[in-house]
Amino acid sequence: MILWKLAFRNLRRNRRRTLLTLAAMVASSSLLILSLGVFSGMFVDMLASVTEQYSGHMVVAGKGYLDRREMHATMDQAQAVTEQASRLETFRGASPRLRSFGLLSLGDRTQPAEVLGIDPTREIQVTQLHRKLVDGRYLDPDEDHGIVLGVGLARKLRAEIGSELVFVTQAADGSIGNDLMTVRGLFDTGSVANDNGLALVPLHWLQETIALPDQLHEVAITLKDPLQAKPTAAVLAGRLDDRLEVRDWGQMLPEMAEVIASYGASTLILSMILYAAAGLGIVNTLYMSVMERTQEFGVLLAMGLHPAQVRRLVLLESTVLGVLAMVLGATLGFFLTLWMKTVGIDLSGSISSITYAGGTILPRLHAEFEFRNFWLPSLLLLVTAVLAGWLPARRAARLQPVEALRED
Amino acid sequence: MALIELEKICKTYRSGNLHVPALVDLDLQVDTGEFTALAGPSGSGKTTALNLIGCIDQPTSGRLRIDGRNVADQTVPQLSDFRLYQIGFIFQSYNLIPVLTAEENAEFVLMLQGMRPEERQQRVRPLLERLGLGGLENRRPSDLSGGQQQRVAVARAMAARPKVILADEPTANLDSSTARELLELMRELNRDEGMTFLFSSHDPLVLEHAGRVVRLQDGHLVGDERKDG
Repeated sequence: MILWKLAFRNLRRNRRRTLLTLAAMVASSSLLILSLGVFSGMFVDMLASVTEQYSGHMVVAGKGYLDRREMHATMDQAQAVTEQASRLETFRGASPRLRSFGLLSLGDRTQPAEVLGIDPTREIQVTQLHRKLVDGRYLDPDEDHGIVLGVGLARKLRAEIGSELVFVTQAADGSIGNDLMTVRGLFDTGSVANDNGLALVPLHWLQETIALPDQLHEVAITLKDPLQAKPTAAVLAGRLDDRLEVRDWGQMLPEMAEVIASYGASTLILSMILYAAAGLGIVNTLYMSVMERTQEFGVLLAMGLHPAQVRRLVLLESTVLGVLAMVLGATLGFFLTLWMKTVGIDLSGSISSITYAGGTILPRLHAEFEFRNFWLPSLLLLVTAVLAGWLPARRAARLQPVEALRED
Repeated sequence: MALIELEKICKTYRSGNLHVPALVDLDLQVDTGEFTALAGPSGSGKTTALNLIGCIDQPTSGRLRIDGRNVADQTVPQLSDFRLYQIGFIFQSYNLIPVLTAEENAEFVLMLQGMRPEERQQRVRPLLERLGLGGLENRRPSDLSGGQQQRVAVARAMAARPKVILADEPTANLDSSTARELLELMRELNRDEGMTFLFSSHDPLVLEHAGRVVRLQDGHLVGDERKDG
């Protein structure tokens, strides 16, 4: 008890020095928490750029289709797949799709495009493209010849709302499928691939145009928790026809899965670099404090305090400092993260979107909460404080009382 | 059996290649209840002798026994405990713990011994009163005069009722009337409580109050004078 009392009072002894050290520790911890929150926000954006703008968290397709994208590898079990998927605990939505690759023309301009046949009412449960419209409107449920384009594709074609495009592709029966489409809307996702090469059309129209009536290429599924996609995909695969296969986003985007998996190691390294500096600050403070109190330690040892108790006293001081900094740092970090989550910083004026590991990093700083973004920096800060106290504590414990008493 | 026995004690300090003898073949015995002063000029070995008896330094050779215990046989933790329970220190520059109040300083050794707060208070409060520190219990050392600080140091040394109190030049930083007052108080406590006091000093006032004066010069014992009563 007396050691606790001494430790607290010693920290209050040179308040300015203690407060400065504490401020440095709180700043490192809270800024680290904020940075990790921003990283989490970036990963969420990247994942969303792929899953919520295109693929969903899982895709069910006929075996072989996902590797070769072969037009004839179709499926017709949309109803069964949706039924089984909807029984999953984390199920959010499912959208049947048919895909075709062809040419879109306007006047003398022609561009290759991926044309995705969708049911608009189902697709909005899976992707967020309807929220990314910058002009016009999304496809109506009873739409017939409407098309919604990425802004990059529209720019290349010089298309605008109401423009009539010609679509030409090879149909499944060997004929040439073609038709006129009217541009209904333009989306801007920030993803170069989607904006420059994707077009959405009504599912039933595409089925007719490419001569695949009632056929699908895939059913895209979204879940409430994307991080549960892998185990959920395995569960769903077990419940489906063995002519079908299920892939989660990690299998479709192995680079992104790796980036997210390596996030833990990156966090640890970043924390260690930042705390190495904070740790030196604590070592400096405690060393100075121990040096200044050499004679006092001599008195304590002369009066019967054991060297181990002297060591414990200095370690207690660094631990108290660490706990205080941990609590204050986590609190400040929470509010900074909250601010960055709700307000954020728009960088679109100075930088554009970056495509990395298959996902798109949007030109904005925004944070997401993740529990480990708090506990890891906080725990490491405490460990740093205790380790930083170790050297000064050892020095204090090794003092010879008679020599320490001679110090001025 | 004497409380403190020094037998052929030598202490040599080394400074580079130079060997400086601080104590040479010192033989000394101090009995329980004595009020003894080690006298001599600066560098005569008084403080060294006190440090050895206080077990905060080790002799180069010779044998030191306190309360029948050979100090050389003790481990570091045993020596810490020995100091905690058997020895009280009063330093020349008071050396109170600046972050503790007068009462907490006086209680410090008792706290280390693990005594309960009520017991500590019962032990320390009357002592502080007797030392003229009533009403100053909650003051920090920086808010006390030199004389008051030295009284707190006396209370701290005495509170645990050690076998021996070692006082290194206790009056060096005090004016003569405060010094006299403090010495009379310590003499009184020595008589009433039967505690053994051992001073190092060249202050004539201390020597005047001492029941026994052991004189040292260049590390040698050159005189041992006992006074009556």
